[in-house]
Amino acid sequence: MLRSLTAGIVLAFAGSRANVARTILSCAGIVVGVGALIMVVTASDFGQRFATAYSEANAGRPATLQVSVFGQITDRAAFEEDLVRAGGQDVSVYHTPSGAPQIRSGGSVVPDVQFLGVDPSLGDIRRMNMAEGRWLTEADTGSLAPVMVVNQPLADALGDLTQVQVGTDQWLDVRVVGVLESSALDLGWYSAYLLRSPASEDLLFGSSSDTGGEEGDPFAMPGSQTTYQVRIDPQDPAAQDPWGEVFTGRLASASWRWGIEDPESISAYRADYAEEVDRIIDYMSWGLMGIAVITLATGLLGVLNVGLVTVRERRRELATYRALGASRSTLFVAVVMEAVVVSLVAGVIALAGCWAAVVAGGMVLERFVPLPDGVPLNIPASGVLVGLGSAALVGLLAGIIPATRALRASVVAGLRE
Amino acid sequence: MSVDTAAPGAATSRPGSAPLLDVREVTRHFTVSGTRIDVLHDCTFQVERGEVVAIVGQSGSGKSTLLNLLGLLDRPSGGTYTFDGVDTTRLGEGPRSRLRGEGVGFVFQQFHLLERRTALANVGVPMVLGGVPLLRRRARARALLEAVGLEHRLHSQPHQLSGGEQQRVALARALSREPALILADEPTGALDAASSTMIMEQLLEQARIRDAAVVVVTHDPKVAARADRVVELVEGRTR
Ligand SMILES: Nc1ncnc2c1ncn2[C@@H]1O[C@H](COP(=O)(O)OP(=O)(O)OP(=O)(O)O)[C@@H](O)[C@H]1O
Ligand SMILES: [Mg+2]
Repeated sequence: MLRSLTAGIVLAFAGSRANVARTILSCAGIVVGVGALIMVVTASDFGQRFATAYSEANAGRPATLQVSVFGQITDRAAFEEDLVRAGGQDVSVYHTPSGAPQIRSGGSVVPDVQFLGVDPSLGDIRRMNMAEGRWLTEADTGSLAPVMVVNQPLADALGDLTQVQVGTDQWLDVRVVGVLESSALDLGWYSAYLLRSPASEDLLFGSSSDTGGEEGDPFAMPGSQTTYQVRIDPQDPAAQDPWGEVFTGRLASASWRWGIEDPESISAYRADYAEEVDRIIDYMSWGLMGIAVITLATGLLGVLNVGLVTVRERRRELATYRALGASRSTLFVAVVMEAVVVSLVAGVIALAGCWAAVVAGGMVLERFVPLPDGVPLNIPASGVLVGLGSAALVGLLAGIIPATRALRASVVAGLRE
Repeated sequence: MSVDTAAPGAATSRPGSAPLLDVREVTRHFTVSGTRIDVLHDCTFQVERGEVVAIVGQSGSGKSTLLNLLGLLDRPSGGTYTFDGVDTTRLGEGPRSRLRGEGVGFVFQQFHLLERRTALANVGVPMVLGGVPLLRRRARARALLEAVGLEHRLHSQPHQLSGGEQQRVALARALSREPALILADEPTGALDAASSTMIMEQLLEQARIRDAAVVVVTHDPKVAARADRVVELVEGRTR
């Protein structure tokens, strides 16, 4: 049994080597089909990694809720305690100051900067890729000057980061401790993350709070709005709740502690979207996969056709093998393996082609947008596996019918040809 | 021409041992579009180890049909055929193939070498089927080709060889697993006189060295003359 298997494989390899032209001819369809499959797997893998990185850098890791309360919170500490009690694993304030501060380094003011008051824990909620320096830490809250992290475009616009000042009506020296890497994920806005600390209290929540958001968010309710970002366990039922009612329900149960009477004024929605994008990409790649499989099936018919023709042509050769002692099962293995070898060769050619295309594509892409860290454009292991696996499978399928034919032929008749 | 004149003891049969081939009342008929064609009626004969037997007879008398039966390429319609003590009529497909590979070497009129394979590769095929490892296979194939005088054509493919050379490759291939029986169906039928003589010389010489029995179908009286014994087929019966 084992001997007939190995003998079949040896004969198959010798056979494919002896008939290179035939081998190449029957390859073409499979090369295209397998190539399409590999490309679909590669694109969907890249898309999902990109979406995950994008979502994690801009919206948060799974599962991040953005929690807003409309109305005056009387006790922030109690509110934050309740956020943890409701399931928050990382909690960070996420506050747009209503006073619209300005920022400058040296003389000129940089316009249109988005300020956000945050806690160090925002670094646990989102992926923060630093180009320079570091993210905010707990120790920074003791700093006498407000501490800040800016994104790359803002850092470039500011120039000298050692003499940055921020202010609403008077300038205040701030310490910039880090610059966020810019990548394809960055939309190019100027962003400044201002650490919530005693030193920045006034800038963030200060004087203008009673002017009531006429300048900032047009949808803001009268009075004040408090926003937090909260990361909860993705398995938590609150993570799968599209309207956020589970989480707000938990908060509302003791909202009187921090001065909110109306549960309607609390909202929570899921901020990260990697899972959703993944699902969409999944659907799309299943569709494309279907097209690739049809292409591959056409390739299979090609190999099958060549296989049938050659078995007819090769009756003498196969009969000679039988005369020399090859059993039916050995010949079956040999003929099937020949188809598998042909298909695998096609699969490897397709893989090489895809690899070249991906490298070239990556180089072109790199010229327009820097790819984010950890999201290189390459063929994933699953792509290699799917490609070669489907090639082998096609070979098996295309080999079985000709092999069965080859077995049926009589040795004596074959030798007479 | 000596018909059935094998001197006692001329063949290397061991006293008391069973014959290598024992063919008893073997028949073979074909059915072509409902009509039965009886080709072999009653064939009975034995071949001893190391014996050289020539089968002669008119065209269409069933010589090739008989040889195919002896080589386990075909099954008789009736009678028994015992090869080396094994009743082959009861044998299943797998064991028959194995017995054929191990016990029988073929030399065909049309050579039947594998195209686009070198002489070395061709001689190696039976050993591939016998599970001989690559290096030993190479060495043996080389030695066999040297033995038939083809040491300078090891890497030639069939279409680059003359008919006589091709038949020598086929002979080397037939010998590669040291079979007890070599079957040759008009091995010189496609060759000129000089090549024919050379092939027969080598066939008989190599068989003698290896103590292999030879059954050769031939029209050539010179070939038949070199056999220990001649079996004549007349209308499907051995004489
Ligand atoms: N598969 C088959 N189906 C039908 N008839 C067959 C078959 N094989 C052989 N025969 C017939 O059997 C007879 C003997 O054929 P065989 O080939 O054995 O003759 P032969 O003695 O070898 O002749 P030659 O000397 O011409 O080679 C012929 O009449 C042939 O037509
Ligand atoms: Mg014949």
